[in-house]
Amino acid sequence: MSNIAGKAYSMNLMTPITRKMILINKLIFWIAGTPYFSGALNGLRTLSLIHYARWVVVGRKQFPHVSPDQPEEDLEYNYMFFNSNFNGSWTQYVDSFSMAIPSGLNLLWKKNVGWPDAVPETPFNRYVINNQIWSSHYYCAYPMAASNDVKAGQSIKGGVEELSKGLDSISAADFRKKYDATTKKLENDISMMAPTPVVSLANLAIEKRERIEEGKK
Amino acid sequence: MPNRSTSKNSERAYGLSIYCPIKNEHEGDVSFTSLVRTALQDFKEDEDSPMAKVPNTYLARFFIVDDVIFESFPHTNDHLQSAYLAFSTNFHGNLDEYLTGMYENMNTKIHNVWQYCYGFEKVKDAASFIAYIKKVQVETSYFFVGSNDDSLPEQLKSLYLKQEFSKFVFANQSKSDDELLAAYKEFDARTKPAVLEGPTWRAGAGSLKNVNKG
Repeated sequence: MSNIAGKAYSMNLMTPITRKMILINKLIFWIAGTPYFSGALNGLRTLSLIHYARWVVVGRKQFPHVSPDQPEEDLEYNYMFFNSNFNGSWTQYVDSFSMAIPSGLNLLWKKNVGWPDAVPETPFNRYVINNQIWSSHYYCAYPMAASNDVKAGQSIKGGVEELSKGLDSISAADFRKKYDATTKKLENDISMMAPTPVVSLANLAIEKRERIEEGKK
Repeated sequence: MPNRSTSKNSERAYGLSIYCPIKNEHEGDVSFTSLVRTALQDFKEDEDSPMAKVPNTYLARFFIVDDVIFESFPHTNDHLQSAYLAFSTNFHGNLDEYLTGMYENMNTKIHNVWQYCYGFEKVKDAASFIAYIKKVQVETSYFFVGSNDDSLPEQLKSLYLKQEFSKFVFANQSKSDDELLAAYKEFDARTKPAVLEGPTWRAGAGSLKNVNKG
């Protein structure tokens, strides 16, 4: 069981929504998804620690039913699943959200059953802990890269490809000018990546890291 | 379409969410739900994860919804009739192509895990797998892309170049113009910036010692 894949953490939250609120909750997400209002969630982008995140509202009669042998669900509430892929620890993430975009959180979880408001933090943290489901397997294609590294890599690739044009004919002095301009433009993107520090003090986590570093499985 | 981001420049990323009902049965004293959990926990991690073989997977997770969560009284104590295997993946491209790649590259693992789910007995090949997944797919209400929607080979090449170019910049400070150009020509020939196949980063690699490929 692992919520961690290198620098990425997987969070799964399941929260109930009453029958009378489901249409309002769906409407909020629909509005948030329209290009005209997408700026309203810019706080998420500013946090800059999320790879991908999603909200999925499953109506009380919408859990998949695929076989006549499967018992029918008979639920009082609808349920919202929130799945996030972020960098950093659980505490850093939950605190960042609570501090940076409390009104956005209150809107996205508007009147979910038991929702305590994003501030103060203690009841908010307790709600997240109570509603979190642990992942049984979590995979990230680039465990050593944060979301910002992926975005920086895209910029660097573009810069390097441009720098590599005309190498056979350019003079050393002109290349210097081009190189200096490129590195100046990319100065916020140039940095090296490495495995994340071991965040658990468990002996098993440290032994696992040592095995990886030694190239053993 | 909410399974894709509606934000500009991120429409090529897809968020697939599926919830597969697990049969209320057991093998000896062990429930099918526990067997699914054990099969998932037996997956190796990082580059040895079966998901590392599935083309264009950015990040993916499996979790089990044993029951709904109770918010304490006076709220209603709801219960599910079945546990659900949840699979949530973020990938680049088209759903059918992605699921075909998934079935072709990890069908033994897929059958090991999903054999305990209702309706999966009809899955025999990639086409029936796609049909099954579409039956258990739930629509995403809002999909947020905080990274980018380039293909995975493009992202991995970009990360490789970020690492190598950063090393190059640090190593070539205070070089003369001629030395700098000569060093860059060597860098360009070694890293092949426009070639995605390699050299590049290996999908899922968690250590600098084995991350480079090609």
